[in-house]
Amino acid sequence: MGKKETRVRMSLQTLRVLEAFLENPTEQLAGAEVHQRCGIASGTLYPILLRLESAGWFVSQWESVDPSSVGRPRRRLYRLTSTGLRHAGEVFASFNRGVLA
Amino acid sequence: MSQRNERSRRPDLAHWLIHQAAHRAPDPLSLRLEEEWFADLESRSATFSRLGFALGCCWATLVIVNDFPRSRVPVPSPVAPANGIVTLVERNFGYFSLRSATLFLIAGLHAALFFGLITTLSHTRSPAAPPNLQNREVTPPPRERVAFSLDASELNHWRITVPKTVVDPPVQPAIASDVIADVADKPAEVVSPPPPRETPTHVVRQLAGGPGAGFPETANFYPSPSIHLGEEGISTVRVCVDRLGRLTSEPTTVKGSGSARLDQAALKLARAGSGHYRASTEDGQPVNSCYAFGVRFQLRK
Repeated sequence: MGKKETRVRMSLQTLRVLEAFLENPTEQLAGAEVHQRCGIASGTLYPILLRLESAGWFVSQWESVDPSSVGRPRRRLYRLTSTGLRHAGEVFASFNRGVLA
Repeated sequence: MSQRNERSRRPDLAHWLIHQAAHRAPDPLSLRLEEEWFADLESRSATFSRLGFALGCCWATLVIVNDFPRSRVPVPSPVAPANGIVTLVERNFGYFSLRSATLFLIAGLHAALFFGLITTLSHTRSPAAPPNLQNREVTPPPRERVAFSLDASELNHWRITVPKTVVDPPVQPAIASDVIADVADKPAEVVSPPPPRETPTHVVRQLAGGPGAGFPETANFYPSPSIHLGEEGISTVRVCVDRLGRLTSEPTTVKGSGSARLDQAALKLARAGSGHYRASTEDGQPVNSCYAFGVRFQLRK
């Protein structure tokens, strides 16, 4: 596998997902929590999360809990990477200048 | 919490849909997505919300399969080994076949609709009207009522004699070298309705007039600019003619040809033809009348 492609096709839904993560860049969010913050349907949300993860903007890992003790399955948590944080900042800066990259 | 645990242990339709959707995702993501979606499903309690979430996961699978071929799967799941290329080919082929089937279904529906329209139109098409009826308006002259006063005894011996009408065929103007011009002229016979019972039966045979012998040729009035521009059309002109075939009033255009130049030429032709009209007849006798006729301007092909 060669160099990872960091370009992501920007859509309004992608911007809303990035905005949810940029509220607290160090916070880890599950897909259900992103849905609650953005209101994006699951059919759109999970492909966006996978695209951003594939581009290196996000990393994901399983929640470190014991499902039997918490009484629910473990969740997949997403977090912004430094690359993602930089690119997201550039996107919103371009957006504020009126040029959507 | 106990209720949520109970739900998590009891599979429902949403679980089944998510399982099916995740099973169709690329292999390295299949188990990860299933577990992730099951976990996120537990955050929803309403039945419709869970079903909507599951259906969204089905749609997400289609998008993910399209977006992430095998070589671009972002993070392989540690518990999901690859099953080989054959599995990927089968799944991609399944997705392709779904799209293909949809396309074929839409194309088939269009073809069936088109065939149905063609078949229906072929059965409902009405026969075309004769061309000489399209550009002719005949206004019958006011009919004179004749009052009879006969005794009842004379009615038994009363006999109707109708003079035989001799109709002269219309004179077709000669065809010019560069145009084909004719005057739509087919006399129409109008039979008056039967009179009331009190009066004796009498049929008044009316025959509408039209351009007669010596009427100018249309080709001589074809405007030169119209010939150069290829303008063609039929202008319907209404004229009022006396018993001698002379105009009694200024001719007017009833229905234009679409070209003001041709309509003016038709009026000019109608004026020039004064004295050459055939007067309308009633029982063979010429009468003053008004009628319309068409002047066709047509270029030779």
